[in-house]
Amino acid sequence: MGLSKVRDNIPYYSDDLSTPAEGDLRTYEVFVQTERGKPHTYCGSVDAADDEMALMFAREHFGRDQECVQVWVAPRDAVIRTDYDKDLVFRLTDQSYRFAKGYNVGMKWREFREQRDYDEYKKEDLREHF
Amino acid sequence: MTDLADAHKKPLVQLLFSIADDKLVLGHRNADWTGLGPILEEDIAFSALAQDDIAHAGAIYGLIADITGGDADHLAYGRTANTYRCCDLVELNDEFDWAVAVVRQFFCDHFEHLRLRRLSRSNWTKLRQLASRMLAEENLAIGHADQWIVRLAKSTSEARGRIQHAVTKLAPLTPSLFEPTEGMADLEAAGVYPPLEAPMFDAWESMIANVIDETGLRAEFRAPAKDYVGGRHGKHSADFAAMLSEMTEVYREEPAAQW
Amino acid sequence: MSVSAGDNIKLDWDRQEDEARLEEFDARIDRGELIEADDWMPENYRVGMLRMAEHHANSEIVGALPEGEWITRAPSLKRKLALIAKVQDEVGHGQMLYRVSQDLGKPRDAMLRDLITAKTKYHNVFNYPAPTWADVAAIQWLVDGAAIMNQKSLADGSYGPYVRTMKRINMEEAFHFKSGEDMVLTLMSGTPRQKKMMQEAFDRWWNPCLMFFGPPDKESVKTGPFMRWRIKTATNDTLRQKFVDRFAPAALDLGLKVKTYQRDAQGVVQRNPDGSAIWTIDEALHPIESEKRWGFSQPDWDEFYTVIRGGGPLNRERVGLRRFSYEQGAWVRRAVLGRPTGAPPNRN
Ligand SMILES: [Fe+2]
Ligand SMILES: [Fe+2]
Repeated sequence: MGLSKVRDNIPYYSDDLSTPAEGDLRTYEVFVQTERGKPHTYCGSVDAADDEMALMFAREHFGRDQECVQVWVAPRDAVIRTDYDKDLVFRLTDQSYRFAKGYNVGMKWREFREQRDYDEYKKEDLREHF
Repeated sequence: MTDLADAHKKPLVQLLFSIADDKLVLGHRNADWTGLGPILEEDIAFSALAQDDIAHAGAIYGLIADITGGDADHLAYGRTANTYRCCDLVELNDEFDWAVAVVRQFFCDHFEHLRLRRLSRSNWTKLRQLASRMLAEENLAIGHADQWIVRLAKSTSEARGRIQHAVTKLAPLTPSLFEPTEGMADLEAAGVYPPLEAPMFDAWESMIANVIDETGLRAEFRAPAKDYVGGRHGKHSADFAAMLSEMTEVYREEPAAQW
Repeated sequence: MSVSAGDNIKLDWDRQEDEARLEEFDARIDRGELIEADDWMPENYRVGMLRMAEHHANSEIVGALPEGEWITRAPSLKRKLALIAKVQDEVGHGQMLYRVSQDLGKPRDAMLRDLITAKTKYHNVFNYPAPTWADVAAIQWLVDGAAIMNQKSLADGSYGPYVRTMKRINMEEAFHFKSGEDMVLTLMSGTPRQKKMMQEAFDRWWNPCLMFFGPPDKESVKTGPFMRWRIKTATNDTLRQKFVDRFAPAALDLGLKVKTYQRDAQGVVQRNPDGSAIWTIDEALHPIESEKRWGFSQPDWDEFYTVIRGGGPLNRERVGLRRFSYEQGAWVRRAVLGRPTGAPPNRN
């Protein structure tokens, strides 16, 4: 017993296609959120005729087989971007003044407080932002 | 209710077979499209829905196995043709006509939704819980089918013509969905398979109409005749025999072996 | 008349690039930075990358076909679901790789049309037949295993969108590979008939997998621009050796025999009347302690070139089925594109 009739009788044509090129659908960027409360992350793109179709495709392609609680799609041309070469984004001059780690207060405290008291006080610092 | 009354076991197994067999056969048909769909993204989506159907079938075979003994694979692959309870509509070979595949999915998913809605109100706890989980996924499938029907029917005259043709071709097979399985009335009366507010056929027809009314597609449906005997009683279409033999080709080589 | 976008996508080493930008680009590659679609890149880098991504995408799409025909016959619910998911993944890989290629300048439609009119190629390995269920096991273990080795090296490449796609793809390949391994193990612990079936399938796929990595390296390849720009990151021979080192001892431990082409005294490959190879135990297959590698016999490279030129056992069937799918689905795309794209061919 073989395959369904159709698969068993696929014709082969070596000629060129008689239909003109079709062109592509619109490209949408896809973002998924793996858990409520977590940020959405970019995961790829799909081609679709419109928003509704893009959302359906994105859901099935990027949302179903791994953990996902929400899917966003946005038409690529609606995502406005800077240019790697032309647009400077991050400041190049010294900006230690706007980071916590730019302030060395430990030495200065020493003049006023015991190390033990300072350590106790320091516990509430937002260490992860240094 | 945590335990199922003995008297309900036999009719419930018949009902569950009709659902599992429908889903297995429909999933089998639709999965054959994997790799051959009309648009790559849709290929992926259609295949995901076929996986849902087969996964649902597997879960229901598992439930049947809890009642009767045996295991899900043997129930899916190892029965004789006349003990399958699927209907003509799912058995039909779509021959890679995408209009037929999508219209069939549309008809079947709305029907499945109703069946699962009823089961999700069953007084047998185990069944109620399983059906509720499946219902959520079934609604995804409905959204997919509705979107395609409306989109294609409202686009080019070519697409509209193909969808109309498929509707006209498949509508006469839809009564096969509604053929009651053996002993269904008892399950309804006992609350194992509670009825809807309206008869199944009416509820289904109005769901279908809700979608196609805005498209202008023409369709006429009718409930099965009183004396209709079809898949739910083991009388299957010619396409079914070919499908079953293809599906079990490898399994039958060594039914006792692990694969 | 069909227009192919492939016509104007050619490598041209005489092309003049802006010296300063080229130098800056090369320096970025040397620093291990990833190139993004928006970045300036030499035309030959873009074309080379596009060709590689397109060939890869084509291979995923055609690669779905040999196993796809077993979906309807998978012998258990779990195997059926796994196989559908696996084939669906390959289509997904194709989709992602076509997206990468589209952003390098060629429309997806043009790529699909070039594929089904045999203007572009896909991986040779998919032109071989998969006549039994054990072939599905062999493909998922050996071909996906080979693909992982290849794709792991490609994930070290220099083009950001391709590298990220490789990483996501490899996550899914890990499932394909384990599923294949599980099937091979199951069949090799099964009945005598199942073992025989597995051995025969292994015979059909071992040599195509050796060819999977491409012909033996020419010196020029190792120093050429594709390696320099990290479009390719490992040579064919290196990957092939890695493959043999991993799979040959595993296969032997499973009780499989590893075979090569039967050749006459002059080294000419012997074949059955239908053109299929005659297999014989590979006597060269043993560990070479001093080199810390496994020795093995090279496949028949003439066969490789025959298949590449379209003369493989199933080139016509694979391309034919893809073309059937394209033509069969054209009305759907016409409908969603919302504009006519010409009359359907009358055979539709
Ligand atoms: Fe892949
Ligand atoms: Fe794979």
